[in-house]
Amino acid sequence: MGVLEVKGVNKQFGAVVALENAELEVRRGEVHVLIGSNGSGKSTLCKIIAGSVIPDAGEIRIGGTVTAINGPRDAARSGIGVFYQELSLVPQLSVEENLFLTALPRRGPGMVDRAAMRHGAEALVERFAEVIGDGFTLDALIQNLRSDQRQIAEVLKVLATDARIIIFDEPTSSLDKRQVTVFFNLVRELRDMGRAIIFISHRMDEIFEIGDRVTVLRDGRSVECLRIAETDQDALVQHMVGSRIAPVSAGHRQVRKVYDETLLTVENLCGNRLDDVSFELQRGEILGFGGLHGQGQSLALRILFGAEPATKGNIRLTGSSRRSSNPAEAIRKGMAYLSGDRNRDGVLLTRPILENLVAADLTKHKRFFLSPRCLVHKVSPVVKRLKMRFSGFTAPISSLSGGNQQKAIIGRWLTTQPNILLMDDPTKGIDLHSKTDLYEIMRELAAEGVSIILYSSEDAELIGIADRILVFSGGRIVQQLEGRQKTTFNLYQAAYGVTA
Amino acid sequence: MTRVAEISRIRFFFRRLDLTRRPYLPAIAVTLLLFVLNGFLQPKTLRPVAIVADISTYLPLILLAVGQTYVVLASDIDLSVGGIISLVNVVTVSVMAALGESQGAIIAGILVGLLVGIICGGLNGFCVAVLRFQPIVSTFASGIIFAGFALWILPQAGLAAPDAYWETYGDSLFGIPFVLWILVVMAVTVALIAKLVFSRSLLAVGGNIQSAYQSGLSVPRLRISAYILCGLFSATSALCLTGDTASGDPLLGAKMTLGSVAAVVLGGTALSGGRGNPLGSIFGAIILGLIGSVVFFAGVPFEYQNLVQGLIVLAALAGGVTVARR
Amino acid sequence: MVVPCLLVIILLILGEIASPGFASPGQIIKLLTLAALLGIVAAGQNLVILGGREGIDLSVGAIISFGAVIAGNIMQGTNSMVAPAILGAAGAGLGIGILNGIGVTILRIPPLVMTLGMMGVVQGALVAMTRGIPSGNAAPALSDFITQPVLAGIPGILFVWVGVGLIMAWLLSRTAFGYRIYAIGTNERAAKLTGVSAWRMRIGLFGLSGFFAGLTSVFVLGYTGNSFIGVGDQYMLPSIIAVVLGGTPLSGGHGSYTGTMVGAFLLVILQSILITLQMEEFGRQIVFGVTLLVLMLFYGRQRRLRV
Repeated sequence: MGVLEVKGVNKQFGAVVALENAELEVRRGEVHVLIGSNGSGKSTLCKIIAGSVIPDAGEIRIGGTVTAINGPRDAARSGIGVFYQELSLVPQLSVEENLFLTALPRRGPGMVDRAAMRHGAEALVERFAEVIGDGFTLDALIQNLRSDQRQIAEVLKVLATDARIIIFDEPTSSLDKRQVTVFFNLVRELRDMGRAIIFISHRMDEIFEIGDRVTVLRDGRSVECLRIAETDQDALVQHMVGSRIAPVSAGHRQVRKVYDETLLTVENLCGNRLDDVSFELQRGEILGFGGLHGQGQSLALRILFGAEPATKGNIRLTGSSRRSSNPAEAIRKGMAYLSGDRNRDGVLLTRPILENLVAADLTKHKRFFLSPRCLVHKVSPVVKRLKMRFSGFTAPISSLSGGNQQKAIIGRWLTTQPNILLMDDPTKGIDLHSKTDLYEIMRELAAEGVSIILYSSEDAELIGIADRILVFSGGRIVQQLEGRQKTTFNLYQAAYGVTA
Repeated sequence: MTRVAEISRIRFFFRRLDLTRRPYLPAIAVTLLLFVLNGFLQPKTLRPVAIVADISTYLPLILLAVGQTYVVLASDIDLSVGGIISLVNVVTVSVMAALGESQGAIIAGILVGLLVGIICGGLNGFCVAVLRFQPIVSTFASGIIFAGFALWILPQAGLAAPDAYWETYGDSLFGIPFVLWILVVMAVTVALIAKLVFSRSLLAVGGNIQSAYQSGLSVPRLRISAYILCGLFSATSALCLTGDTASGDPLLGAKMTLGSVAAVVLGGTALSGGRGNPLGSIFGAIILGLIGSVVFFAGVPFEYQNLVQGLIVLAALAGGVTVARR
Repeated sequence: MVVPCLLVIILLILGEIASPGFASPGQIIKLLTLAALLGIVAAGQNLVILGGREGIDLSVGAIISFGAVIAGNIMQGTNSMVAPAILGAAGAGLGIGILNGIGVTILRIPPLVMTLGMMGVVQGALVAMTRGIPSGNAAPALSDFITQPVLAGIPGILFVWVGVGLIMAWLLSRTAFGYRIYAIGTNERAAKLTGVSAWRMRIGLFGLSGFFAGLTSVFVLGYTGNSFIGVGDQYMLPSIIAVVLGGTPLSGGHGSYTGTMVGAFLLVILQSILITLQMEEFGRQIVFGVTLLVLMLFYGRQRRLRV
């Protein structure tokens, strides 16, 4: 039946059970979606199929025959190609060299056939030419490319392997709508050619657009396998979470009190790829940054925080009229910055939870001598508020689940009691439970008078929680949406530059 | 010529000068500069005889630096090369002495020496790639072991190498000095290796080991191969040193280890791996030699020579690192 | 931490069996004295390595040689000049360390390369200063402090070492500076976003490494009586190994100085056993190298690629 059958897979990492009796069956010529909340095991399952993780138990059948996959080379030999969520590109090599890392066409024994390489690569790039933006040439080094371009490079790399079974693990997280359209057309072609495609995504609309069947994982087990046509978003969410919770996007429509006090004024802010951004921020307001990915939203936040340089412009905060030239200054002025990439920007993985929690506070209060007892005293209320679950303050933060780790990082910033909280796509890759908790905290903070600037790549989230949305495009603010204007339609209209 | 053609000609030209593709260009430039300076300070060094003598002196470090480059490209390091040199030198001379001093004995000695280099490299590769030891400490330890074996085999320096060996080394073949032949053969070998898939794969391992693994490259095999290659070049370096010194000395390689690392950096190769070229290391080694020469001929007072040399090398290392960064 | 301590005990027992009297109190004190000399310079090395970004200091050996000559010349065998000698040597070390730090942070030269180059420069400066002829003498008070018992049969240097241990433990676990060292060693990008100035910290760490090396040079001088060129070379790589054996990986981010202290003691005992066994030089070397490799099986092996 299925070209790929996975049965009875168990995998434990230390004390954490990632997969328990997981199952999957993928057929030729279908796009099989794999969904589940964070920690449900979907990435692990795919890595097992891809060969970079070895299961403790279980069986993989390809085309009906039991196949042992002990490493990525075995997987490649069995016709499995993988798009890795963290990308498997070598930054110092060029796009072309990465595309053909293993599938290097040879001329003589061991020699590299450059002409054939180039020809094949050009054909692949052609498909994305319109939507990829500048800077993307075959000779460009990966380290010089933007994140969406890198994802497209990884897509091309998978295609170059000409695999029969293709796994896409979160391939669209950095792509904008146009790029996703081109990508999906490609995926449909592959499906029609008879390839078996496994697709992991947390974006519901994409799942329903491209998927044929879906397998739901929960807590490491496969709980359901359904046809997309026979189900709906709410049902899927229910399967993932296992209990009824209120959908996220229909946020509390209670009118929130916004204080009539301007906390932050930004005038003509310019930076590398940011052009003349101006806005004001009221106390207790949740201001949203919207628009297509990579249009300057993240950059603006980082400039506000002093983590990136600005070339021109004023940032006036009550009490100071200077731009912060580094994060330490910003922190002392009462700002906080929460990044969506917690592994890269937030978590000190091997350090104790306490050290992670107090990291920013040390800067704010210029402490030198520390007493762990005082520190615990300081962070306890925050920990309680965030409902964090952990064994002890001295345990390393790596012992926490992803959602709790992100809570710890939020806790780090809450400990400094900021006036302005800058959030840079903070819910990327977070499970539903933790997301809902986070929204609640944000609303509470706003009610207490903390101002929040939120950049989110998910429209529903942005519309649901922000009071006002500033739409970015090409490094500028092109539209401001308030009240009833906050609709997905208006958002995209502004983002694409369509004049109403 | 049309404008388009002109622009693409210019772009092509700059592509040739692109430091990311050719990180060794500054090293070549500096070498030429030093060479000219050296000649200016002491014209006698420009004579063919002097140049050949210089090549003869620099050759061991050049070979060592090239070997070290392969390991560094894979983001590892080999601090045992000095020990390998000592061991190969001692083994070779001992074998040749034991087998009588015929031509057969010499060839046997050379082959055994090369084999020892390969074994040492294999051991290093095994420890780093399979046992996953940290390269710095692991190769430091193995270097001590190799040097120890060298001491065991030949407790005292002074065992003479066969006359035929070092006479051939200093002699000419078809009118061209033997050392130049070695240099040319080495350069050709390096060029050939660069064309292999192996080189590209090695860069991938050094660039991002996780990506290389996930892309299906056999990472342990590549790292071990780099160490074996390094061992082989170190052995060749030892053979040349033996030709130069004409004897066995268990302490021969001690100072050369750190020099090989310096030469690699001077040549524009990044110590973090994934970027660089053995060609640069060749010039890096020559630069080290020329610096010493320039400082000497510039008439720097004897007691300050080391200091001046050290400062210049430090400045050059800073330069090499900046180049590798682009 | 447990493994190195066990190994220390095992080796002491082995040593006692092989050569009775090896583990006698008097001998242990001698071993600890040597370990103290290594341990103090290893403190600085430990800090540099903890700070991450491939931090390492290859210049400590040269600084010890250099400092010993400076201290010796200031002291010239006079007791009253001990304090100025310490200041001079430690100060010189501090200065060299700061230069290392500047090269690593502002010029962005990798630590391996920078300290390697600095090692050459310091060695050159040493030759320039002494013209190849070592000079200077330790004051008797200093030598006594190092080699003779001061209290309860224990030489003064050991008290100093314990003091260093306490200061390091306090620094690393009870100060913001210490927290920040671990932060930049674990995830520099995240640390910067919490307001840490990584480059300032690194200049400080390298400065401290130079300082400890300079301090050690005075004690080494006290131990040997007078300096000879290259007296410090034998400390460089062992200082790194002591740190690794003590549980700090070369990538930094975690580890403690107490572990390094045990590591230093372990190394000294190892070298001493080999001498006691009256092995010839080559045997000692081979066994030392093999033992290191075997120990590596338990220490800081790099991550598996496949999980």
